[in-house]
Amino acid sequence: MKSNLLFIFFIICKIVNAQSEIVIKEAWARPAAKHANSALYFSIHNNGEIPDTLISANSKSADITEVHETFKRENNQMGMHALKFIAIPSKSVIKLKPGEFHIMLIDLKKDLKLGDFIKATIQFKNSGALKIKAIVKDSGE
Amino acid sequence: MLRNNKKFLHFIMKNKSIKMKQFLILLVLGLSITGCKNKLQVIDEFGDNKYNLIDQNSKQVVFPDFVKGKVVIMNYIFTNCPDICPINTNNMRLIQERLKKEKITNVELISLSFDPKNDTPDILTKFAMVRNLDLNNWEFLTGNKVVTDAIINNAGVIAVISDSTIFRDGRKIYYYIHTDRISLIDTEGRIRKNYLGSKINIDEIVNDLKTL
Repeated sequence: MKSNLLFIFFIICKIVNAQSEIVIKEAWARPAAKHANSALYFSIHNNGEIPDTLISANSKSADITEVHETFKRENNQMGMHALKFIAIPSKSVIKLKPGEFHIMLIDLKKDLKLGDFIKATIQFKNSGALKIKAIVKDSGE
Repeated sequence: MLRNNKKFLHFIMKNKSIKMKQFLILLVLGLSITGCKNKLQVIDEFGDNKYNLIDQNSKQVVFPDFVKGKVVIMNYIFTNCPDICPINTNNMRLIQERLKKEKITNVELISLSFDPKNDTPDILTKFAMVRNLDLNNWEFLTGNKVVTDAIINNAGVIAVISDSTIFRDGRKIYYYIHTDRISLIDTEGRIRKNYLGSKINIDEIVNDLKTL
């Protein structure tokens, strides 16, 4: 009985430990006017042994928040589409960055000006909800 | 260049064994090597067309007449675009900053909306203001969809509606698959070079601009 309890405790510790292995860094968003759209970018560091999945995001700064990917077709034509998830393999870094994965902030509730900060919650299948704070800036590319 | 051409002709005249046909071929090749170096070809031209548009201040302008005599850097955008068009526009800003730094004047920047139904002058103004853009030599243009389509067609830019978002109140906004492009237009309204708008080499653009 005692050993069973110890085993369960060990498993719970492993799960909790695994859940804390996702770290979000370098979050930023593009400036945009109220009622317009913006994009949120960051890097996801999965330091754990267990793969995870980004399944959704939400922010009080926007009416709708969607996971998106920009794609390229022939002749430098660019488009984007919504994604149901982004896979985060174990021991990996997945970057949401301009021209690739991003969180689309649709119908902003206020102007996002350079230097402002916005808050968002990023939902992972295993790690649950992670809160982030992103600075509004323009990239240097 | 003139000195090179003279040298070339001197070489031809000295080699009398060269026949007339060979002479002409060599002459054309020689001139193309020495004379056309660094010259940008005309890709497309707006010619004598007059496109009636309005800028971000609701002022009516006739494109390309209102910028003739100036070199134009132009991109093609829709403001509901969250990713590529803002990158492209930010690159326009970086070009503008470089031009200021190098004290290059007589250049106008234009951002043309291919989604004029949504991109009213007010929306375009907000798009620029929230980014702190310097509009001293930068116009955001919109107008009748037929007119904006004619311009982008002339520029070889494609913009087709793809996905959309429907809001709870029934509003619907569209997203476009579109050409990611910045164009270099000469003082006569002729497109001389196109660049991938979201991934530019500013040195290349400024150097090209200097050859016009």
